[in-house]
Amino acid sequence: MSKSRSELSIILRGVAKDPLGLIGLIIVGTIVVSAIFAAWIVPYDPIGMNIPDRMQGPSWSHWLGTDNLGRDTLSRVIMGGQVALKVALPAVFGAMAIGLTLGMVAGYGPKWLDNLLMLFFDTLRSFPTVMFALAVVALVGPSLQTVVLVVMATSIPTYGRVARTQTLTLRNSEFILAERAMGASMVRILGVHMLPNIIGVLGVLAAMDVPTVIALEAGLSFLGLGVKPPTPSWGALLKDGYALIRQTPWLVVGGGLPIILATLGFTFLGESLRDVVDPKLRKNR
Amino acid sequence: MFIYTVKRFALAALILIVAVTAMFLMIRAVPGDPVSIMLGPRATPELKASLIAQMALDQPIWKQLLIYYGGLLRGDLGIDVFSGRSVVEIVFQQLPYTLEMITLSVVWSATLGIALGAYAAANPNTMIDRVAAAISVSFVAAPAFVVALLALLIFAVQLQWFPAIGAGEGFWGRLNHLVLPSFAIGLSWVGYIARLVRASMLEVLGEGHIRTARAFGISERRIIMIYALRIAILPVVTVIGVGMGFLLSSAVFTEIVFARPGIGKLVIDSITTRNYPVVMGTVLVSTGLFVFSTAIADLLNALLDPRARSAK
Repeated sequence: MSKSRSELSIILRGVAKDPLGLIGLIIVGTIVVSAIFAAWIVPYDPIGMNIPDRMQGPSWSHWLGTDNLGRDTLSRVIMGGQVALKVALPAVFGAMAIGLTLGMVAGYGPKWLDNLLMLFFDTLRSFPTVMFALAVVALVGPSLQTVVLVVMATSIPTYGRVARTQTLTLRNSEFILAERAMGASMVRILGVHMLPNIIGVLGVLAAMDVPTVIALEAGLSFLGLGVKPPTPSWGALLKDGYALIRQTPWLVVGGGLPIILATLGFTFLGESLRDVVDPKLRKNR
Repeated sequence: MFIYTVKRFALAALILIVAVTAMFLMIRAVPGDPVSIMLGPRATPELKASLIAQMALDQPIWKQLLIYYGGLLRGDLGIDVFSGRSVVEIVFQQLPYTLEMITLSVVWSATLGIALGAYAAANPNTMIDRVAAAISVSFVAAPAFVVALLALLIFAVQLQWFPAIGAGEGFWGRLNHLVLPSFAIGLSWVGYIARLVRASMLEVLGEGHIRTARAFGISERRIIMIYALRIAILPVVTVIGVGMGFLLSSAVFTEIVFARPGIGKLVIDSITTRNYPVVMGTVLVSTGLFVFSTAIADLLNALLDPRARSAK
């Protein structure tokens, strides 16, 4: 435990040394902290209607104005961060776990299984993400769970392919051959010896994947096919703002900026993590 | 090369078959019978019976699948439940709007991205390189539909420089209506392509034939424009081909934001009216488009770079 903790602190220190990494860390940290403590820091009830104060522009009492039901935009933005992470984190971790397992099995197992899994990945990847999401939502109905599942399914191939490639390059290295010669089982080889060598790269991928997922959730909610009202989500804010774009344009700004900021933060963080975890990958900078 | 082409298209076909089958089974797996879902609660028994016969729902599932594939091979994607028109006709009527928007987005963003990337690679670690890198990263960060909304707000609603809705009439009208949507879709590609070109350009500039060209005293400008760029833009071809799915996804949102006709708007409208044959037809056509363009990109890549042929 102490070993992994010190490794984590080395990685974090490496990220913080890079200016872009530090910006990313600050943005992501702010979003995560505000999402965790959202219920305490919101100035107003994010779903409480207040008709007399409806459609007010930004002011001292409502920094980002109010919507057509008099709900405070800032409170909804803060609460929306929580919803975004509630979708993004399970989806990203789920996809990573499944993709990692399938990818390692594909890279290590027999050739026919590899071909089969690659076909599975290629097929999953062959649906344009949003089209696939729309088809599923149309059939199953919109909900938070549907969004998580769809997002997870569409990002499995990315993790799977990377894990497979990594496993393929590792499978003939000496320490794996030695394990095999000593009769270690496949589960042991993959879980104990391969995993620590692969997880770093996939972690970087996951950090970079979070914004994609956040944008997809927001997009589906914007179309009215994601999180159901009155749950505050950045996409739902954009939807409300778009419907009354001449009356309450600040909703579009309030919903749009956090998405851009979150994307920026996670991308900076991901790139900086990549440089720290695997400097070899640092070729396009 | 011929064998590679055949193999690649066989893989594309296989992927499509698996995708279509999976989607077909998914629809059938949804609780409730498809006919009631399609026709809604007010359908008469006669109407239901005729649709069941028409869609061959009284047959076993494998036979239904065969019938569906039979129709697919004849270019038949079924009938729109409401208007009675063929789904293929409806989809292909909307497709050009989407394609013209995507094409324009790719053209402007690739041109600008390649220029930026090549310039940055030719002058590495200068002020302009740094600025280009910063711009690249920040543009990558903006999802197309957020850019579309902000562009709509700023340039159409507030400044009123460009039209906010529709596709326009006549050449200039259509072009005018395309400016904001293709700006929104292309923006995140500029930075992406610039970074890609910069990286591959730097790699190419270090290679032997460029050094030889330099030794011959060919001007730097000529080396970059003629000898290096040709190879350095290779990854862009692949990325655009593989990015087709991404472009189609952006198109869905952009069409909704700007109330433009196109397959994105078509699929959303069909979902809200629960018009499943049209939803499925649209998803199928766009999946086909995506698989096809990925295959083409791979082939182009193999044609231009023989090393890619042997690598799977």
